[in-house]
Amino acid sequence: MADEPLLSVRNLETKFHTDEGVVRAVDGVSFDVRRGETVCLVGESGSGKTVTGESLTRLVRSPPGEVAGGEIYFDGRDVLDMSDAELRDLRGGRVGHIFQNPQGALNPVYPVGWQIVEAIRLHEEVPKAEARARAVDLLNRVGIPEATRRFDDYPHEFSGGMKQRVAIAMALATNPALLVADEPTTALDVTIQNQILRLLEELQEEFDMSVLLITHDLGVVAEVADRVVVVYAGKVMERGDVFDVFENPSHPYTRALLRCLPGRGGRLDGIDGRLPSATDPPPGCRFHPRCDHAVDACRTGGQPPLYALSDDHDVSCVHYGPDGDPEVVRGDESAGSAVGPGDGGHVGDDAHVGDGGHDPDGESGDGGNEP
Amino acid sequence: MSMRWYVVRRVLWAVVATYLILSVTWGLLALTPNPAAEQLQFRAAASGGSAEAAREAFEARRGLDRPLWDRYSDYMVNMVTLNWGWSDSRSQPVMEAIAGAIPYTAVYSVPTTILSVLLGLSIGLYSATHQYTRTDYAATFFAFFGYAIPNFWFAIVLLLVFSVQLGWFPVVFDPDVPLVGFAMAHQLVLPVVVLVTGTIAGVMRYSRAEALEYVQAEFVKTAKAKGAGEFRILTRHVLRPAAVPLMTILIGDILGIFLAASYLVEVVFGIPGLGQLSYNAILAQDTALVLGTTLIFTFVAVIGNLIQDIAYTILDPRIDYGDR
Repeated sequence: MADEPLLSVRNLETKFHTDEGVVRAVDGVSFDVRRGETVCLVGESGSGKTVTGESLTRLVRSPPGEVAGGEIYFDGRDVLDMSDAELRDLRGGRVGHIFQNPQGALNPVYPVGWQIVEAIRLHEEVPKAEARARAVDLLNRVGIPEATRRFDDYPHEFSGGMKQRVAIAMALATNPALLVADEPTTALDVTIQNQILRLLEELQEEFDMSVLLITHDLGVVAEVADRVVVVYAGKVMERGDVFDVFENPSHPYTRALLRCLPGRGGRLDGIDGRLPSATDPPPGCRFHPRCDHAVDACRTGGQPPLYALSDDHDVSCVHYGPDGDPEVVRGDESAGSAVGPGDGGHVGDDAHVGDGGHDPDGESGDGGNEP
Repeated sequence: MSMRWYVVRRVLWAVVATYLILSVTWGLLALTPNPAAEQLQFRAAASGGSAEAAREAFEARRGLDRPLWDRYSDYMVNMVTLNWGWSDSRSQPVMEAIAGAIPYTAVYSVPTTILSVLLGLSIGLYSATHQYTRTDYAATFFAFFGYAIPNFWFAIVLLLVFSVQLGWFPVVFDPDVPLVGFAMAHQLVLPVVVLVTGTIAGVMRYSRAEALEYVQAEFVKTAKAKGAGEFRILTRHVLRPAAVPLMTILIGDILGIFLAASYLVEVVFGIPGLGQLSYNAILAQDTALVLGTTLIFTFVAVIGNLIQDIAYTILDPRIDYGDR
């Protein structure tokens, strides 16, 4: 692992200009993805995680969208400074994307093989026959049976899970350094979800990639993440090593999310209230209207800074600041160590959260509309 | 392959449709009083003769006194062998009159079709990718202008301004210049402009609407995420899937506007094509020629529909031929 992170995002701001006003979908998000690791971006629907993922290679449609501020460094180069040609090299070449809905992600009028070959030949000048052979290899690798025969089949001849495998093959076609997987399992049924997650883990090792996994499912996080970034209403609430965050969840929002996991001994209810308005967010901490521990300091100013709890664990909550008392949050019932990702065990091996605890509908709260 | 079978069946259906059209036309003609016979009867009665005898003589001369079945089978055989009768008003076989008119219709309708499809598609795609910008509004305005303005009126205004006042283009169409050449192109500028403004509007609005449906599609985002450039995304990932519904709309739309408009444009500009031929035949009550020109338009429509259906199955891999 090199010292410099592969991807470094600082104060990212992405806005959408709509008739109702400016939607600040991402409002000052910072995080790093190091080489070879899996980072999970967690939050409920409408929290800005998808927009964050699409901002990384500036996929956000503009207009109405606009990456309005901040810095995105990929492998030391500023993405926001890149020309269109450099961006095209980055997309698909260095950064692969997988999207939530495999039903829509493939073009219905082209055979799947053609679409993988396109991904290869957009970035490398290889003869068609060689690109075809590589595409067949990729299809084999992602577990499409009889890949040679299915090469010329059209997307509608594949099931949802198989389509997602094809989409993964396409994203990996040029051996990218970073894979951005946006809810890759949400649209699939539970058994297929596990297969796809396992496949992603295998491929990550094989291709030596970093993965940014965007999800609302803490069960998935517990299974695959090295580090976690919890976002809420376009702001980072808490981020850190997956053990720290699960064993020592510090932000009231993170704790509330963990309580929503079924089979974790907590109340099986959601978080009261709903996401704040994206055009007119509340002052102070974005979460304070739904927070049990909100005090006056939470209701004024901006989002609290990210206070360091340890080397690799930060939380944006006044109770952890110089004038705060963490016990106000931690003293509350229970979301504490009871929800560790497996007591001292390795997350991936001992994933209680994942075992049957997958919540396909694990969105907490009402959620807003993804902008 | 099942697709080949589908195409074969579709072609057979076109033949059946043509047969039905011909039969119904014959039936209608058999029921309709013949204006030439009426004239003869009138004349006979006016000069003191027997109207009834005049009608019988006329029918005997035309073979109309034979049994229906004989007349029907004769008619069908004549139709198939392209023996479409005699044009009284032009004193030449109908087929000859039609064959002489087709080149003049083709010489302006081919460039019109090509121009309206090319321009309409590009402006429509541009509008779709630049939705709600000033250029989109300008294109929309242009489209509605072309759609709303009556062809014949626009043609007359253009003639007045550019031919009469400015003298840039000839006022009267000269059918004697070579079909392919500068002189022909020059005198066809105004008719083509009039027809293109009419047809382009539909093409543009439809392609804008269809493209808009795909510009925001997930698979377009996938293509962008793969590193495809704007042009490639537009042509391969937006236009190609949009071509499926567009094909059905475009062929019908162009055929319709073109058939109706060709009457007006040919009459206003004095182009001796099918439209004018048909128009004059109606004025002259030349039944055989009206039938001939109308059938040509009908066959163009049947063939257009056939091409459309076949194109549809080739363009959309999701179509299942099994139960058709």
